[in-house]
Amino acid sequence: MNLWRSLKSLLFPVVDTVPGEQAVPARGTARPSETAGGSGGGGLHRADSGRRPESEPELPDVDSRGTVYPQQRRPEPVQEADLRERERRELERRERPSPWEPVVLERPVSETAWRTRPPESTTYRPDCVTDGWSTGFFTIRAASVRGYEHRFRGTPRQDDIAVAHHEATGTVVFAVADGVSDAPLSHIGATSVCRSAINGMLAALDGPEVEVDWQGLLQQAAWQLCEQARLSLRLPEVDPRVADEQMATTLVAGLVRPLREGPVVEVVQVGDSSAWILQQGGYQRLLRTKHSGDGAVYSSATDALPRVPQVKASTGVLTPGQVLLAGTDGFGDPLGDGDGVVGDHFARALAEPPPILKFAHDLDFSRETFDDDRTLFVLWPHWPKWR
Amino acid sequence: MPENSGNLLPIYVVADESASMDEHIDDLNDGLARLHEALLAEPMAAAKVRFSILGFSDDVQVRLQLADLRRETALPRLTCRNMTVYARVFEDLRARIPDDVSALKGQGYRVHRPAVFVLTDGQPTDGDAWLAQRDQLVDRQVTPAAPNIIAFGIGNAQPATILRVATQQDYAFVAMSEVDISAAIAKFCSALTKSIVHSGRTLGSAQPSLVVERPQNFTMAIDVV
Repeated sequence: MNLWRSLKSLLFPVVDTVPGEQAVPARGTARPSETAGGSGGGGLHRADSGRRPESEPELPDVDSRGTVYPQQRRPEPVQEADLRERERRELERRERPSPWEPVVLERPVSETAWRTRPPESTTYRPDCVTDGWSTGFFTIRAASVRGYEHRFRGTPRQDDIAVAHHEATGTVVFAVADGVSDAPLSHIGATSVCRSAINGMLAALDGPEVEVDWQGLLQQAAWQLCEQARLSLRLPEVDPRVADEQMATTLVAGLVRPLREGPVVEVVQVGDSSAWILQQGGYQRLLRTKHSGDGAVYSSATDALPRVPQVKASTGVLTPGQVLLAGTDGFGDPLGDGDGVVGDHFARALAEPPPILKFAHDLDFSRETFDDDRTLFVLWPHWPKWR
Repeated sequence: MPENSGNLLPIYVVADESASMDEHIDDLNDGLARLHEALLAEPMAAAKVRFSILGFSDDVQVRLQLADLRRETALPRLTCRNMTVYARVFEDLRARIPDDVSALKGQGYRVHRPAVFVLTDGQPTDGDAWLAQRDQLVDRQVTPAAPNIIAFGIGNAQPATILRVATQQDYAFVAMSEVDISAAIAKFCSALTKSIVHSGRTLGSAQPSLVVERPQNFTMAIDVV
């Protein structure tokens, strides 16, 4: 159907009225235009002259408490010239998409129109979350956006993110998680392990050692996940097997301390979420990704909590010009080694800390076959502090 | 690893075009047309699949090669021919699949292990000659891009043969004897569609997997051996 016809059908849902036949007036109040001295005639509108819909939805003039609202003037009928103008504007809009349309990198994730469906979830799960702030030493941005496939299918965002500032030490702590797609409640699992990891890191920084026991942190997150499964599924007792089936999730957790030698990073990984350093448009992987190998065909088997592998934190000092990134595979997969259009896109987008909403918008880029949830944490050190 | 242009799953439908399929080939063509329609309504899953259709009889004829189904207006039709020579099928796939995988990788795609869906209504007419070819095809040492083979037997196909074609026991299905062949073909196409959509959906995620649906009125081949 062309645009002209679709606009007309939208505006004139009823077009054929037999002359002389009376439309039944709406029950209750008179139509606003009639009381305002409009066309009259007991609610009869001729389709050929008045161009008024015969049965348009009306809001009541009186609310449930009996308050009477002033009558609103019926909108004037739309003339064909107006419709042509609307059509022209619509075509113009298509040619020059709004800056809030997703950024398309080469080919879009879908070439046909589709509707974002509400997520089927027993708990509230927003399509995206985004965050950002600055301390004396760092500026951070964080976002987690629902994948196009999940929007299309009506399933919740299974990724999640959490970030916090430990004021006493100036440390930024972060956690990024990707719920395993086969586990039906993995979105709850992802949220659970992010919060557990953040709480664990903050508590450790408050402690006498000011050090994080990373193996213990992961075990604590795994236990928290099992407890969450017990609560969510109303199990009589904690059952790690059920937690694994229902809520398995990857996790990257880490922190950045502002020390004299520079911003010191510590980060651990369970599964294929990862971390990178961005410098002068190039990406350096801090942790392994599922694409590190070079098999004949691609395959992936990922670790996931509540199974806890033996880990050793990757540590290092950021040097001037370096930006720290941590993200799920929804970001890491399309990035690859970062030497293509996705790498260029983020090198441009992250050259300086962008506005918070723009950061989420940049992460929500559209690229064919990449429709997974995406989550990204970025930290920019304030380099003058270290000069 | 350079930048990834996308995640792809090559899928091959290998259909029996022997003379005995004559009465049922239209059912199969109709079923494939419905599969095409269903995938057009799944733009994101369809984007991740490259679809080939091979008809086999005395030889193998390519009906569709590595097609992006979103770009096809209609699928080509299978036509019945003569014998049921299995060896030609596996010989063809041994050359075709590594070539296809390298071509897609050359275009910058990340390629998942190919899936071959075989539908046959009869016993091979070339004795055991096909067995060695089939074993070479699925040996990952010999053929690094070795496919998963999912085999469906209808009509006179014997469960033991179907089991020997499939790469694992739960990829071998035979139609129950009381089910008519037209209905079995329709169920095969419907299960194939679901397998493609579900597998395509997982490709971009952390745990890509080949999902194989058991068609209604089919049973695992092992059950009736």
